[in-house]
Amino acid sequence: MKLWRALLPLFVLSLMVSGADAHRLKLFATLEDSTISGYAFFVGSGRAQDADLRITDANGKEVGALRTDAKGAYSWKAPSVQTYHLVANTGDGHVADTTIDAKRFAGLSANTPDTAEDDENAPAGSISAAQIERIVDAAVARQMRPLIEAYEAAEGRTRFNDIMGGIGMIIGLAGLSLWAQARRREKKP
Amino acid sequence: MAHIPDGVLSLPVLVGGGVIAVGAVALGLKKIGDEDIPRTAILASGFFALSLFALPVGPSSIHLLLGGLMGIVLGTAIFPAVCVALLLQAVMFGFGGLTTLGVNIVNIALPGAVIGAIVAPMVQRATPARAALIAGIASALCVALTGLMVAASLALSSADYMLSARVMIATYLPLMLVEGFVGGFCISFVKRVKPELLAGTA
Repeated sequence: MKLWRALLPLFVLSLMVSGADAHRLKLFATLEDSTISGYAFFVGSGRAQDADLRITDANGKEVGALRTDAKGAYSWKAPSVQTYHLVANTGDGHVADTTIDAKRFAGLSANTPDTAEDDENAPAGSISAAQIERIVDAAVARQMRPLIEAYEAAEGRTRFNDIMGGIGMIIGLAGLSLWAQARRREKKP
Repeated sequence: MAHIPDGVLSLPVLVGGGVIAVGAVALGLKKIGDEDIPRTAILASGFFALSLFALPVGPSSIHLLLGGLMGIVLGTAIFPAVCVALLLQAVMFGFGGLTTLGVNIVNIALPGAVIGAIVAPMVQRATPARAALIAGIASALCVALTGLMVAASLALSSADYMLSARVMIATYLPLMLVEGFVGGFCISFVKRVKPELLAGTA
């Protein structure tokens, strides 16, 4: 009976905690044109301000080092088309990483240079295939962004059911060990 | 903060932490008696649920560790308690990691166990008010020790993830204060309502 009285506050507590979140660091990155941008955030508990962000290329060579701003955001223009690996580090043991694959630069890797002069030289009213690809890429990136953001935020979020499940597991383990100890005592005499 | 994720620490640190953790958990389980099991489970679930709740602070976010409180109430049983809670957090929420489980157990539970062993006899003899003060200081100290051990684990592993002293101070100082109050409040409450909970810590 006493055990239940002790567990009651815990139950109330977990009700309050539900909806609250773990604080795993995650790094959100999106590609628009050749700019990689996004933010570092803790699942459910805000952005990571002034966190160290390092960018390495496919060969592991460091190509960029920046810090996130007051909103945890960053933006970096990729110099060339290749796979980039981003690592965010808050400086107290929280590290998160993400990769922007070279394939996602598709619109840029098309061999048409994207200078203004070319656009002027092109016949009026005509759009090259590369330009269309770039426009579509930008539009898709813009529309997908909220979706990916929501997914990243939802993944790893602490749910009430999970917390109750974990507590149930611990109570179960306690019951199991009590049972084991009782058996051991029964055997002894 | 105290939950170091996978892929950050070097192999020697992981193995070292793992070996110490296995030994410590085995010791804790060996010394555990029937009457210790319920309170071990209660504090394990308390730690499991509470340390999921994090607040953003500057570049990082902080959450309670309860090392001092667990150490005072549980003694060496803090190791199995923290082990189970961290394992569940890692598996269910990706909080911390499986390879770093050993290191994280040691970083969180060892300061609690050591400081708990030192102050538990004092807390048992003290009045509720004095017990609160002792437990508060002990809890704050545990947070500081955990911070130092996390720093040491990272520093020993690689220079890539060097810690910033500024960030550590900005996150651990407020946490020490909060933990001190929480630890002190809990112990004085237990002391007044259910003092026998503090009686039999080995």
